[in-house]
Amino acid sequence: MLAINTIRKTFNPDTPNQVRALQGVNLTLHEGTFVVVIGTNGSGKSTLLNALAGTFIVDEGSIVLDGTDITRWPEHRRASLVGRVFQNPFSGTAPRMTIAENLVLAARRGQARGLGWALKANVRQQLRDRVSQLRLGLEDRLDNSIGSLSGGQRQALTLLMASWLRPTLLLLDEHTAALDPRMADHVINLSEEIVSRDKLTTLMVTHSMQQASNLGDRLIMMHRGAVLHDFSGAEKQRLRPADLLARFESVRRAELLDESAAQMLRCAYV
Amino acid sequence: MTLLIGALTVGLILSLLALGVFISFRIFEFSDITADGSITLGAAVAAVLLVHGVHPVIATAAAFFAGTVAGTLTGIIHTRFGINKLLSGILVMTALYSTNLHVMGRSNVPLLDRRTLATQAEHAGAWLFGSTADLRVWGWDVAMRDATMLVLALTTAATVGLLIYVFFRTNLGTAMQAAGDNPQMIRALGVNVENMIVLGLAVSNGLVALSGALLAQYQGFADVQMGIGMIVWGLASIIIGEALVGVRQLGLIITGAVMGSVLFRLLVAIALRGGLNPNDLKLVTAVFVFVALVLPGLVTRLTSRRRRQAEAQ
Repeated sequence: MLAINTIRKTFNPDTPNQVRALQGVNLTLHEGTFVVVIGTNGSGKSTLLNALAGTFIVDEGSIVLDGTDITRWPEHRRASLVGRVFQNPFSGTAPRMTIAENLVLAARRGQARGLGWALKANVRQQLRDRVSQLRLGLEDRLDNSIGSLSGGQRQALTLLMASWLRPTLLLLDEHTAALDPRMADHVINLSEEIVSRDKLTTLMVTHSMQQASNLGDRLIMMHRGAVLHDFSGAEKQRLRPADLLARFESVRRAELLDESAAQMLRCAYV
Repeated sequence: MTLLIGALTVGLILSLLALGVFISFRIFEFSDITADGSITLGAAVAAVLLVHGVHPVIATAAAFFAGTVAGTLTGIIHTRFGINKLLSGILVMTALYSTNLHVMGRSNVPLLDRRTLATQAEHAGAWLFGSTADLRVWGWDVAMRDATMLVLALTTAATVGLLIYVFFRTNLGTAMQAAGDNPQMIRALGVNVENMIVLGLAVSNGLVALSGALLAQYQGFADVQMGIGMIVWGLASIIIGEALVGVRQLGLIITGAVMGSVLFRLLVAIALRGGLNPNDLKLVTAVFVFVALVLPGLVTRLTSRRRRQAEAQ
């Protein structure tokens, strides 16, 4: 379904700011798998999602989605297969346009856009029906501009837009990190509903250990631009937030050890 | 009366410029100074074709087309070569100055005794009313040429305004709006934002060139200097329009841009009649646009400060 074969990406190569963000990520996903991605800051979680979305082209390796090699596809072309929700709630919607206009834009994700009337009268009922599934009362405000909505409302709409046409791959990039706790819960519930209803192949990055242990049927932990742990099946279901925190702690200790060992060697020999 | 009709006609002709600037400035937040060159390009292309006896409608259409080419160039320079928006416009505007001189062969092309849209409209008017005599409108004598040109300008502005409105209600048009509003979002929905910018600038400069072509035919000449400061003129029209009708609805904004252009031209005509030195016109326009851009922010700051002071007391 999705095959990521040893992809590498280095930002600002051969400069003092060089960042080796992805250092050979391998990952294979079966259709309908819901994968939760966790990792320390700078571990390459978001970079991995951006590599899949086509925000940049990877230096090495290949990405095969649904039997098609999309490694060299530009971002807008991948949109025909990939739906995305961004970390920033303001990134996923056009603020000066109305809710209805935004949804209609999403309803043609990845398709040709011609001179047909965008907001036909007969689609309004369909818009209302699907917006009401968000349980936010937005179905009565279809003609309000997006800019007048809260971050949580906008993020819920972005989720609806990303999944409007069933995407082959859904990418959720810490999409509740910027929301207040109540709204974050609501958006997470909506995400789970949509993913399980449409059986979407999903990658979700999160910093919440609670979400990571409750959601999904596979969990990967990234570190230094590669996959460090990969849990699935019963092993994934047994994981509790405390277990995950312990894993983070051991990673941190290993890091410290590297640092102090290097320091010791430096003192002794340099 | 002639003064009023003249101001209305020029205002309506330049409203096409305002609508073009609306697309670049308000949809893409692209201060596209190409407009200064493409309005002259439109005038030059139309004038030269008319001098060679080409049918006025074809000459005007060719001017529109030439403008779209200029806009496409600016768009490609910006999107494909990553050159800053303002600089892309400046490069094409500068290049257009020489191009316009080449097109015209000299710095000024008069259209005296040529068949233009103005004379065509006059003929149509004469045929309609059965004579070429002056018309009497509400007790005023109006020259047939002035009256028919006003009708022509009004029809063109209304048609173009309607077309733009309809365009921004289509799938392609909403995608273009979104490309200006939130490029990241619309890219994730499968739209090539770069192509949208190029297309938008092409349409924008096409309209500006169309405005130039009509202006040349109305005033009876094309001049290589006629484009200087025209972008600021377009901005002034849009700002006045937004002050008149607000910025909420697309249909209102488009109507506002046309109204703003006409009102601004009327104000200029009145000021010139009242003794404003024509040499100061561009200075006054620039100051006006500056004040109009700064004023809203200044007012909010002052009122919030006053409110804070009131609360403190």
